[in-house]
Amino acid sequence: MATFLQQLINGIAQGGMYALIALGYTMVYGIVELINFAHGDVFTLGSFLCIAILALLGVSASGQVIGGWQGALIALLVILLAALLCGVVGVLIERFAYRRLRNAPRLAPLITAIGVSFLLQGVMRNWKGPSEISFPQFLPNPTFSYGGVHIDARELLVVVVSIAMMIALQLFIYNTKLGKAMRASAQDRDAAQLMGINVNSTIAWTFFIGSALAGVAGFISGMYFGTTMFTNGYQAGLKAFTAAVLGGIGNIAGAMLGGFLIGIVEAMTAQYISDQWTNVVVFSILVLILVLRPSGLLGEQLPEKV
Amino acid sequence: MHRPLIIVVALAVVAAGCSQQSSQTSPAGSVIKIGIELPLSGADASIGVPTQYGAQLAIKQANEKNLVPGFTFQADVLDDVVGSRHDPAQGAKNVQTFGADPAVLGVVGPFNSNVARAEIPLSNSLQLALISPANTNPTLTKGPDAIAMRKDHPDQIAYFRVCTTDDIQGPVGATYEYTKLGARKAYVIDDNETYGKGVADEWEAQFKKLGGSSLGHDHLTSGQQDFHALLTRVAGTHPDIVFFGGNSSTGGGLLRKQMPDAGLGSTIYAGADGISDNQFLQDAGPTADDVYVTVASVNATKLPAAAQFLRDYQAEYNQPVGPYSANAYAAAMVLIHAIGEAVKGNGGKAPTREQVLDQLRQTKDFPSVIGTFSFDANGDTSNRIISIYEAVKGKWVFVTQQNFTGAH
Amino acid sequence: MSAGERSLRARVRLPLGIGEVQAWQALGLVAIIALFVFYPLIDRNQGDVSSVADAGYFLLLVFGLNIVVGFAGLLDLGYAAFFAIGAYAYAMVASTQFNLHFNFWPMLILSGCVAALFGVILGFPTLRLRGDYLAIVTLGFGEIVPQVFLNLDKYTGGPNGISNVDQPVLFGYHFGFNPVPYYYLYLVVALISLVLLNNLKHSRLGRAWMAIREDELAATHMGVNPVTTKLLAFAMGASFAGLAGCIYAAKLTLISPDEFNFSVSVTVLSAIVLGGMGSLTGAFIGGLLLAVLNFKVLPQVTNWTHALGAALHNEAVQNLDLHYIIYGLILVLVMLFRPEGLVSTASRRAELHHAQPAASAAAAGVE
Repeated sequence: MATFLQQLINGIAQGGMYALIALGYTMVYGIVELINFAHGDVFTLGSFLCIAILALLGVSASGQVIGGWQGALIALLVILLAALLCGVVGVLIERFAYRRLRNAPRLAPLITAIGVSFLLQGVMRNWKGPSEISFPQFLPNPTFSYGGVHIDARELLVVVVSIAMMIALQLFIYNTKLGKAMRASAQDRDAAQLMGINVNSTIAWTFFIGSALAGVAGFISGMYFGTTMFTNGYQAGLKAFTAAVLGGIGNIAGAMLGGFLIGIVEAMTAQYISDQWTNVVVFSILVLILVLRPSGLLGEQLPEKV
Repeated sequence: MHRPLIIVVALAVVAAGCSQQSSQTSPAGSVIKIGIELPLSGADASIGVPTQYGAQLAIKQANEKNLVPGFTFQADVLDDVVGSRHDPAQGAKNVQTFGADPAVLGVVGPFNSNVARAEIPLSNSLQLALISPANTNPTLTKGPDAIAMRKDHPDQIAYFRVCTTDDIQGPVGATYEYTKLGARKAYVIDDNETYGKGVADEWEAQFKKLGGSSLGHDHLTSGQQDFHALLTRVAGTHPDIVFFGGNSSTGGGLLRKQMPDAGLGSTIYAGADGISDNQFLQDAGPTADDVYVTVASVNATKLPAAAQFLRDYQAEYNQPVGPYSANAYAAAMVLIHAIGEAVKGNGGKAPTREQVLDQLRQTKDFPSVIGTFSFDANGDTSNRIISIYEAVKGKWVFVTQQNFTGAH
Repeated sequence: MSAGERSLRARVRLPLGIGEVQAWQALGLVAIIALFVFYPLIDRNQGDVSSVADAGYFLLLVFGLNIVVGFAGLLDLGYAAFFAIGAYAYAMVASTQFNLHFNFWPMLILSGCVAALFGVILGFPTLRLRGDYLAIVTLGFGEIVPQVFLNLDKYTGGPNGISNVDQPVLFGYHFGFNPVPYYYLYLVVALISLVLLNNLKHSRLGRAWMAIREDELAATHMGVNPVTTKLLAFAMGASFAGLAGCIYAAKLTLISPDEFNFSVSVTVLSAIVLGGMGSLTGAFIGGLLLAVLNFKVLPQVTNWTHALGAALHNEAVQNLDLHYIIYGLILVLVMLFRPEGLVSTASRRAELHHAQPAASAAAAGVE
């Protein structure tokens, strides 16, 4: 039982990270129906930016642990800056790579997204080199144990941050004017435009928020794993997108559910089957669920638009 | 009506791509080319490029010292990365490109075992010398697969390697960890790649033979970053040693880093040369204690030639030497030496590839920066010295070295 | 208009269902085919011939995926899986793996059939899925297949893959490691495929695919059976990949699971979209361009920057890796400036730019 609970914690921690990235996918998809393949790389860029910001603040990989309010302050500052910068990058990507193609054939922006993904990887490769790079572990990491189950501060950080972000996002989307504009644009872009909503800026804001969340994920992933690498965005993005689809793409709660589910399935597979089968199990479950519920777990079963 | 224009452009690009190579063919006279075939871009660049530099340094020094009078050597470098990974098909094409250039008398490479599997049959068919600085998988030269790979010229091997194979490295490590460190219960993890799985299997077999028990053997997924779940499972079996077969780039350092989270912080961690680099120390950070690795070469400080090489490399490239730079240097040097002997045998004229291969097969007690070695009938090095290192306070500290003499 | 000019513009009817084209276009077509036929005699560098031959398997992949994505409009992001299935199907029965040595030629067809079967197996559960949900399921399939080949090491050689795959023998002629016969094999298969696909496109089935692509609901009401139409697209598309996999394995004499990853699927898809969706000329040109870029130009770029850096003694230049950046930029720029692809058919342009009358831009040539 302790093992099972421990694996549940492992799965939730990893799943929280998938969920945070999945939020960006699902928001962008909901509004422009684009699989933003570059999103995973924005997440990695987030980790890279955090390392650069920390270096500016004098925190290096070999540095000391900074406890108390000082550490918390640095963490907060780094998260905010990384989120802001990633958000700006997201807006720039949308402005230069996707906006022109909004009415182009459906696959054109998909290929552009793949191109942007390569481009970001190339930039990161030349910025920090081709190997794993260390992420400063400057926060203390106390472990809490109960009945043979351990949970450490980093795992708590992942879970707390991802759930907090989801709640904030949900509140934002349902209670602000911009959120309403986003939902309206997602439902029917032309109608939203006619109702006086500035669709261009709404879409830009969607990219900003989604990318900023990826930046936050970049920070907590760096804290959790302690390293990052320019190619990491691919696997993380793939799983996160799978999570978004599993939950029902366009649906925020669904993205979170999908993320946690995939994290937990991975952990349980590693425990009870074998680590090498995790991807096979995850994707088989994805196929099964979509066959049974073609719009994902929480997705609306929309009738075909005619 | 853009179609004809586009076709013309497309064909022009194709032609440009092709003509680019043909311009390199044979500047007759006194230039001899040495092919260098390694993964040089994408994620592989971190290990491939320093290897390339090792070979290039040898070529430069051979020219400076005029090792083969009347001839200058020139490096012809090709990258086998396609997309983001080393690619066997690209490697094979590179060997064919070298094969088409009569000035190329031998090739240093490849780096990866699966690329080697595509190149060995080809180099055997072309009778073009291929000397790998890094392939450690034993089945490349021994066993039925290896024999089938040289079916075109079964008795005229064309593939050599200067590194010791994993069927020696794995058992030496297992023996050390069993007898000297007292490990009895092992959990084996590998990265599910040719090298990692190979060395892990060899290690596990020897560990069991000695009387140790294997509690489990898991394979990682490529690109995996989170090992908490796997390590929780490992911790549940209470091993006293975790062996990892693989590289730092495929998770060796990250795995160690996450072990304390699962309560395995004080468990011994062992591996082979794939994690013997600085990258591992950097990834594992403060958790890089109680880590033991085997390295399939002599300790540099015990060999004056190696110390000189390290100084020269630093002076030339102004960056730390890679784990396979010295091997590549030795591979290029043994090739240059064979070419020199072949030139002598040919009355001072440029030799044929067959003559170079003849000389390579006869390589005996060749002194190099990685120790003195000969090539055996399979093209394997006689240099079977395995060094053991321990990570202490963020540095690899030499523990002991063994000359593996037992037949395998 | 001079007499010569007029004769160049005269309409010629080409055989094999290629259709009616202008004389200069027919001449161009003949010239291009002749260039491909004589190419190995002109370029004596075996490395180059080998590269161009490998463009052959890539072109076959592009043709196959063009059926699924271009003709039928089903977004498939895991197409490399079928390539893997074809390669393993041949390698497992024609190598030292099980000491079976089936003949290459029947296996060429059989590999295509095995891949087609898997195409149907994948297609069946996804029939109800639309658009990007289908994309993600195929993507998952593309991740599962190589991982299964990797994990079932007792049968597939695991990470080592299968080496010593048998090379083809034709009437006593051993293909060996010489790239030239493989080149001609690819050329013949590619030309046959082009003719077949061109006819297929204008057949009843081809029109059904396009109807499904444009509006599935309307097509169904017009009497198109979506189930068989879609399954046929999956099966026929996959069969091309199976065929390509078989030749690929025989030419390289080696396969390993990491050669069939997502980047293969993405590159093939990029070639189709870059070339112009649904157009055979587009698929051909996009495929050729990306093959040259990936197999020839980009690997060279690394060598050039390294050499330049070494010559300048500049460490920063030496460590530069422009591979990803150039590739990414090309994808982005081509799409931004030609969103319909390099070659766009008249009907496609008409869809995109409603203002232009479709009739003014006459469709011509192999499409």
